[in-house]
Amino acid sequence: MKFKDHLKDRLTAYLIYGISWVLVLIFMAAFRIPFQAIVIVSIILLLTVIAAELWGIWRKKSYYDKLLHCLDELDKKHLLFEMAEVPEFLDGRILYNVMQETNRSMCEHIAEYRRENKGFREYIELWVHEIKLPVAGLQLMCHNDGNTKYAEQLKQIDDYIENVLYYARSGNAEKDYIVGSVSLKRAFADIAIKNREQLQQRDITLRTEDLDNNVMTDGKWLGFILGQLMGNSMKYGATEITVTAEALPDKTVLHFWDNGIGIPENDLPYIFEKSFTGENGRTHRRSTGMGLYIVGKLCKKLGHSVAAKSVQGEFTEIVITFGKNDIYDVR
Amino acid sequence: MKSIMIIEDEKTLREELSVLLQNAGYETLCVTDYENVSKQMKASDADLILLDINLPGESGETLLQDFRKQSDTPVIMLTSRTTEIDEVLSMSYGADDYITKPNNPTILLLRISAVLKRSARPSAVQKYHDIEVSTVKGSLLRKDAEQILTKNEMIIFQLLLDRQGEIVTRDALMTALWDNDEFVNDNALSVNISRLRGKLAELGLPDAIETRKKQGYVLK
Repeated sequence: MKFKDHLKDRLTAYLIYGISWVLVLIFMAAFRIPFQAIVIVSIILLLTVIAAELWGIWRKKSYYDKLLHCLDELDKKHLLFEMAEVPEFLDGRILYNVMQETNRSMCEHIAEYRRENKGFREYIELWVHEIKLPVAGLQLMCHNDGNTKYAEQLKQIDDYIENVLYYARSGNAEKDYIVGSVSLKRAFADIAIKNREQLQQRDITLRTEDLDNNVMTDGKWLGFILGQLMGNSMKYGATEITVTAEALPDKTVLHFWDNGIGIPENDLPYIFEKSFTGENGRTHRRSTGMGLYIVGKLCKKLGHSVAAKSVQGEFTEIVITFGKNDIYDVR
Repeated sequence: MKSIMIIEDEKTLREELSVLLQNAGYETLCVTDYENVSKQMKASDADLILLDINLPGESGETLLQDFRKQSDTPVIMLTSRTTEIDEVLSMSYGADDYITKPNNPTILLLRISAVLKRSARPSAVQKYHDIEVSTVKGSLLRKDAEQILTKNEMIIFQLLLDRQGEIVTRDALMTALWDNDEFVNDNALSVNISRLRGKLAELGLPDAIETRKKQGYVLK
């Protein structure tokens, strides 16, 4: 709060003071009051007004400065009124109460949405859980009847179900993962086996190097992430997938490389954004722009960083960096 | 014949699992009465138990905890819940493996045979006719003749030997190889098998591996 702003704010009051002073002067002159007395009265009036104004300014300024400072420091701005003191001056108190009231109403509103959202997410988890039973049943039936024709379709259904599940999980504010030591080799082999039929149909060669590393992550989530990346490689015409890991002193870097159609340079910065399909999306009808978005979100939640490199027509490489956190390393 | 107890309340799944396991040469015991599962578990002499987590009444996790106080029989948990938390919990209660539904049936069979093998604790040296199979050295030894197998050949031979006399599908062989980080393709599998045949022939067993058209291979 600047002094100048305050003066501007009080302009009308000063005008009224000025007019009343002029009137007082006129009346005092009319009653032939001695000049010295007029000067003394004027000075007293002026000092009174200045003192009152300064007191008013100081009172508000000290309150609002504190409030603004508080707002600056706060990470979650909407919590300001939980922190602020009740002002001593009337208009401040009124505004304070109004803000408290609206704040409370907003909180209730948000809580309701949060409840609804949570309920929805829980239902999705439950539903996924339920739908997996008939899928599992069908898969067994196919196998027992020696029917491989339906197996691929079932695999696709299962993949789409996983997408929904992890989308719901990625948006979850609660922590529903466990970070533990996960073998990259094991995680990759599991995903490779899961996709073996499709990989072999497309004659894709898998190569792995230096995967004898354990990383701190959630095994299931990592499995989903690798599955998504592998799905993308298959979708975008790769014939070779190479997965390597580098163990650095403070982190482990996983490189997921394929020789597919690549990503245009212009699209590269946006591939982790929701619903972004880009140029490849226009030429490949099955792009939803969700896969990498979910991957990005899961990585962020787990504290891994994810980035992409690509040269169109040559390769795509997704790089995931796993931190080595001593806190997790309990042995 | 190894017997497997199936505790899964979903009728279709239970029946299909039973067919799958029977086809793979196991004897199956299906639990159909979900009143006294714990008692039935303890009373059975199955070599392995497949246990669903979501059961009416007591959950699979509770049953497992209770069962472990009495028996070391291997237990594989089956679930459609896919969180690491469930898995960590199950393993801490003493499960030998944890498989999420739906899963590739071939992988399920592979895991079952792996768990059974672990619990049987076979000696480092197995016998095939009069050949000594050493998985540690990766070699086949007959009297003075020794053949060194590559990792892939050993995996293939091991699987055929475990199911000696039964048909092992290419699918199963492939899954076993991939499970060991050997991401071979169809051609490579054929090449590996013919090399393995060659090595067995050198040891005086030229027709040990028989091809069954469109089905797989049998080790005689």
